[in-house]
Amino acid sequence: MLPAAFDYKRAGSAAEAISLVSEYGEDAKFLAGGHSLLPLMKLRLAAPSVLVDIGRLSDLSYIRDAGDHIAIGALTRHMDVEKSPVLAQHVPLLAHAAWHVGDPQVRHRGTIGGSIAHADPASDLPATTLALGATYVVQGASGTREIAAKDFYKGFLESALRPDEMLTEIRVPKMNGAGWSFQKFNRRAQDWAIVGVAAWRRGSESGVGLVNMGSTPVLASSVASAIASGASVADAAQKASNEAEPQSDLNATSDYRKHLASVLVRRALEEASR
Amino acid sequence: MKNSSTTTRSQSREVLGTSALRPDGVAKTQGDFAFSSDFQAENMLWGATLRSPHPHARIVSIDPTDAWRIPGVETIIFADDVPGQATYGLIASDQPVFAQNVVRYMGEPIAAVAADHPETCRRALAAIKIVYEELPVLFDMDLAIDPSTPPIHPDGNVFRHQRIISGDPDIVGDVIVEGTYDIGMQDQAFLGLEAALAYPDPGGAGVELVVATQWLHEDRKQIADCLGMAPEKVRLVLGGVGGAFGAREDISLQVHTCLLALRTGRPVKVQYSREESFFGHVHRHPGRIHLRHHADRNGKLLKVEGWMKLDGGAYASTSSAVLLNGITHLQGPYACDNSRLEAWATRTNNPPCGAMRGFGVVQACFAHEGQMDKLAVALGLSPVEVRLRNAMKTGDKLFTGQVVDSVAPVARCIRETDAIPLPAEPAYGTGSLELPGGSGRTSDPSHIRRGIGWGVSIKNLMYSEGFDDSAEARCTLADGVATLKFATAEVGQGFVVLAQQIARTILGVDTVVLDAIDTQIGSAGSTSASRQTWMSGGAVDGACRLVRERLFEQVAHVHNLNPLQLAVEGTDIVDTLGPLRVPVSEASKGLRIEETFLHRHRPTEELDENGQGNCHVAFAFVAHRAVVDVDTELGLVKVVQIATAQDVGQVLNPLTLLGQIEGGIAQGLGLAVMEEIVVDRGVVKNPSFTDYLLPTALDAPDVVAIPIEEYEPLAPLGAKGVGEPPCISVTPAIVAAIRNATGRDITRTPVRPQDICLPT
Repeated sequence: MLPAAFDYKRAGSAAEAISLVSEYGEDAKFLAGGHSLLPLMKLRLAAPSVLVDIGRLSDLSYIRDAGDHIAIGALTRHMDVEKSPVLAQHVPLLAHAAWHVGDPQVRHRGTIGGSIAHADPASDLPATTLALGATYVVQGASGTREIAAKDFYKGFLESALRPDEMLTEIRVPKMNGAGWSFQKFNRRAQDWAIVGVAAWRRGSESGVGLVNMGSTPVLASSVASAIASGASVADAAQKASNEAEPQSDLNATSDYRKHLASVLVRRALEEASR
Repeated sequence: MKNSSTTTRSQSREVLGTSALRPDGVAKTQGDFAFSSDFQAENMLWGATLRSPHPHARIVSIDPTDAWRIPGVETIIFADDVPGQATYGLIASDQPVFAQNVVRYMGEPIAAVAADHPETCRRALAAIKIVYEELPVLFDMDLAIDPSTPPIHPDGNVFRHQRIISGDPDIVGDVIVEGTYDIGMQDQAFLGLEAALAYPDPGGAGVELVVATQWLHEDRKQIADCLGMAPEKVRLVLGGVGGAFGAREDISLQVHTCLLALRTGRPVKVQYSREESFFGHVHRHPGRIHLRHHADRNGKLLKVEGWMKLDGGAYASTSSAVLLNGITHLQGPYACDNSRLEAWATRTNNPPCGAMRGFGVVQACFAHEGQMDKLAVALGLSPVEVRLRNAMKTGDKLFTGQVVDSVAPVARCIRETDAIPLPAEPAYGTGSLELPGGSGRTSDPSHIRRGIGWGVSIKNLMYSEGFDDSAEARCTLADGVATLKFATAEVGQGFVVLAQQIARTILGVDTVVLDAIDTQIGSAGSTSASRQTWMSGGAVDGACRLVRERLFEQVAHVHNLNPLQLAVEGTDIVDTLGPLRVPVSEASKGLRIEETFLHRHRPTEELDENGQGNCHVAFAFVAHRAVVDVDTELGLVKVVQIATAQDVGQVLNPLTLLGQIEGGIAQGLGLAVMEEIVVDRGVVKNPSFTDYLLPTALDAPDVVAIPIEEYEPLAPLGAKGVGEPPCISVTPAIVAAIRNATGRDITRTPVRPQDICLPT
């Protein structure tokens, strides 16, 4: 289907993008890779009156070693995240999760910032960066601020971003040799996860993010607490099913999703503990 | 295919018995083949259909004023604009061309529009204002059967009620097993979407329709009735058909397209989207079957009793015939004298159901094979042994009293399948696409359990219950070239190559031209019920034989011989008693011999009130053994191997036979673990290939197929139909293998992941 009519503005810089969005207000949307927004518009589930194209802001496409963390520009394509030697060395879980996103065409166009700002609980990267304890840098008309990933996701496709704010950078702590695993459950390649799990573990420290287990990406902190207090992987994984109230849909009932979450978290932690 | 043939055959000429290549094969592979959706006409308009969003509602008012104002809209038609009969249907004419006053299923057509562009059509449909008053939705089969439920149609809520009582229905066995089985609604899911192009005759005197269908003449009859025209004023041409599987046996867009063309005086094309296709054609009947099997201590079946309910949805389609097939096949391919069976086909506000590959037997087989496994457990026998002890053979009597006089190598099918080596034990690497879950890559090799299961089936061939079935074909021989004319719908099964093989074999020609497939010759009947090799094959064979007789007469006259001495050997006519040898090309030079042949099968009878009567023409049999790997924690299934031996009669083309076997297995696999139209109180929840899961190449198992080649004396070419059997017992075999792997008593198909891994 065709989207509703809209105006198109191309921004030459982050500052220009923010001023354009401030000018048009709530009806304006940033367009990055377009791989979440445009399908919504074609289905007429979204009908912004203005699209501010930030896809050509190449200065926001980078992956840098910043000491204790890796800084990733918001407009970095999934393919660049997947192939990055810096991430392979320091945050291999994120590079691997990026490989699970969509198909090669999607990964060459879609961006990590777009995926996170879209805040889709079924997307792979929001839950993965949540599990990794990432911080998001956002820039607005009134300046720049940092938001911890665990404070970012507010509801279904809703984030802590204000209408005039733009996500500019994702800061992911280095994993320092932690074991990790990404478990994506779907029935066909390239589909959204029915349930997904991103997990890492280093001794008693761990992080577990759940994909598509509720209205937001879920940080399974009860699982990490159990691991920290010495619980077995199997016992800790049982807690995953109580972390969220997932919905029933054509792909899975709520009970089946909860069951999958426990099984996949256990498998993920087993792999991360090896 | 292994053990494909025991007969030595000429490999040089593409005669019967060879893997002759189909004439449409290269074009289809290269994308050059014209499917019905590829046809265009000058000055053409596009048509589109307005459908009900409700499963059951009264139409309070319709206001098309705004739609008429849209530039490019040429006509909008409603129920009142149908000039002839307001309804159509294959067996009972109960389905409205357009709903009038009431809609009985989600997607029921209400209006059609013709405009200059598909987008104009879409806007026009959106601009038609309809006020509905929603009515209570009848979605439950038991409620439909309950006489106190108000009828949702003047013809009532039961399409057919049939019982079968045979032998001693009160006999009690030493061992009794009981089960209830549920079958989900499967879609035919052909890839070539519904499409048609109608050309009106000047002054609206007639119409020509290019359409993808299974049965040109039946379409013509129903279209002509609705148009109020004589059938000869309606000419149908087969557009390229991209799969059918039963879904093109009923009318979908045929009448609408013709009406729009006649109304506007311009060619009109209608083409469904995938979503519309889910609403535009009938599906496989979902159903519930309860059976109780009685056996003696030795495992010999004594009695089958129980009931079957199939939901036909809102309109009749072929529900009554599907029900007949269902109840008469509850016996399975097993000898047994005593029965007490009852069956209903219900009318509800669910999507209409009708023909799909297997036609009622798929549902029956899922139940009787579940029962045979229960019997095996109760008796301490293997699944193979319990089936062998009861295997039907030629001369056995069915519950209907009909004697099976077809070749019936049931035991041989089971034994030869059993002899096929099992696949190697699983040795998966992590992340292998071969793992359960395939491209999802979530299975862990250490959580996989293997299971083995069996399914064996009987399938009737051709139409039943007294239907006057025939097929016509014409053969013309001129200058060494044979031309064949028939109305047989080529839907992908390969009749076009078979017809050429027949002509080459009978007439000794190499070049066989196929005339257009249209209504300019008598009916060939439907491409369904595994009947075209037998019926149209018999017609082409008969026409070619008549031509050959006349050619022999000519040659005999010239050489002063008795024509009975002559025979075709390769591409020559030879004197079997002397030295004469003349190439057919030379003997037919300057001649034009044309003959038409009408092939009929022997008559059948309707069942009486106790289900007695010779209602079927002939039968075919098949055995399937499934090997599955199941991730019991995630509920994922990989079908590793299907071994099968199928009773096929004479093999006419090993390659197309294998195509039917592998394709049928994929479709049966779909019903076992993936494919289901999810309907919630009449509302279809998944009308797309995103949400309706279809098997892909990754899901397809290794198939090891053995044709059981025993010449069928009842068949004109010694060959049985092979299209339906491959998809029938493969579904219960796969589900049995899942039961075997998980230890769970799964009684529903398709098996969903949660049925495997959640607490029951």
